[in-house]
Amino acid sequence: MVVRYVRYSLLFILTVLVVSLALGYGSRSFEAYCPFGGAESLWGLYTVGEFSCALGPLNLSLLVAVVGLTLVSKKSFCGWACPIGFASELLGRLGGRVLGTQWRPGPRLDQVLRLIRYPVLVAFLYLTYKSGELILRGYDPFYLIFSGFGHGSAGAVSYYVLGALIMGALLIPMFFCRYLCPLGAVLDPFSRLGWIKVARNATTCTDCGICQTACPHDIPVQRVDYVRSRDCTNCAECIEACPEEGVLTLRAAGWRKP
Amino acid sequence: MKISVWTLPILVVVALFGGYLLRTAVAIPTTTVGTTQATGAKLECVVSGVKCKGTAAFFTSLYEGVDGVLAIETFATEHKAVFTYDPARISPDDIEKVMEQEVLLNDGSRVQVFECLSRQEM
Repeated sequence: MVVRYVRYSLLFILTVLVVSLALGYGSRSFEAYCPFGGAESLWGLYTVGEFSCALGPLNLSLLVAVVGLTLVSKKSFCGWACPIGFASELLGRLGGRVLGTQWRPGPRLDQVLRLIRYPVLVAFLYLTYKSGELILRGYDPFYLIFSGFGHGSAGAVSYYVLGALIMGALLIPMFFCRYLCPLGAVLDPFSRLGWIKVARNATTCTDCGICQTACPHDIPVQRVDYVRSRDCTNCAECIEACPEEGVLTLRAAGWRKP
Repeated sequence: MKISVWTLPILVVVALFGGYLLRTAVAIPTTTVGTTQATGAKLECVVSGVKCKGTAAFFTSLYEGVDGVLAIETFATEHKAVFTYDPARISPDDIEKVMEQEVLLNDGSRVQVFECLSRQEM
């Protein structure tokens, strides 16, 4: 539990920083701190040498930093820094408490649903490039929450979208991150390479599956020697949950398949 | 090689801080009007109301035909505008007055859209 408290503390501090920016403290808009904005600005920079809408250099430099972090430590940004990931995780825990359990789609359905984030990514990038505006702001939970349904939100539709995402997070663990997050889709290929991975000692592992239950992304850790899954955020929940000492550890396993 | 779990928060903080510092490597303005290489004095203003490419374009349109303003660069995420101007033809006070003028809206009303929150001659 100690690692979780440290992780939640870091997530809480970063969320408070974003809230304070959204309230007008600091010299920049909170949107300037979204690494996905860097991905949205790439085409505009390439074609006309300008950033789209309210995006700027910080979006781009944070995207570079987050991609670098992902190459080193998989999707650590998602598990240790992203306010939306934090909200999803807290809502998931709340849903589990209130409803007694959360729905975990079967492996096949889960794999298919995880592909939805790619068309979402394509839609975000294409429409942003085409219009030069952050045209899908009204459907972006990060913008809706921190702007308080500000300029560019889509009226009642935005409320329905955010309501649906909250319901999804209560019912299915990490609903938005797993199935819809476009930044997650950008990071997927880099995450597969991730240098630091959770490693399992197969000789001492009892295959109890507690690690998979503890994993917010439902990764079957007990079936692999190294967790190469693109969805692993290195949150260390599996390591903390494992009842056997030293079975699960973090290892610098290299970029190639160990 | 075994890695301590405590490496992760350190890596995350270092990456985010590194990304924050790296922003200066890509100092690309949101909009550029005029020739920024022109010789002249520089004035940097933090302007409330410059929030995106659209508002930045409207902001720079206020200076069309204003004598002495040679170039304007806007940085929407920092709500900033950098003017290159000829001090013999226009003063920083006059530049500030232009941005703070009331503008005519479609409904016929007149409002002040931009406000210079701070300025610095460079």
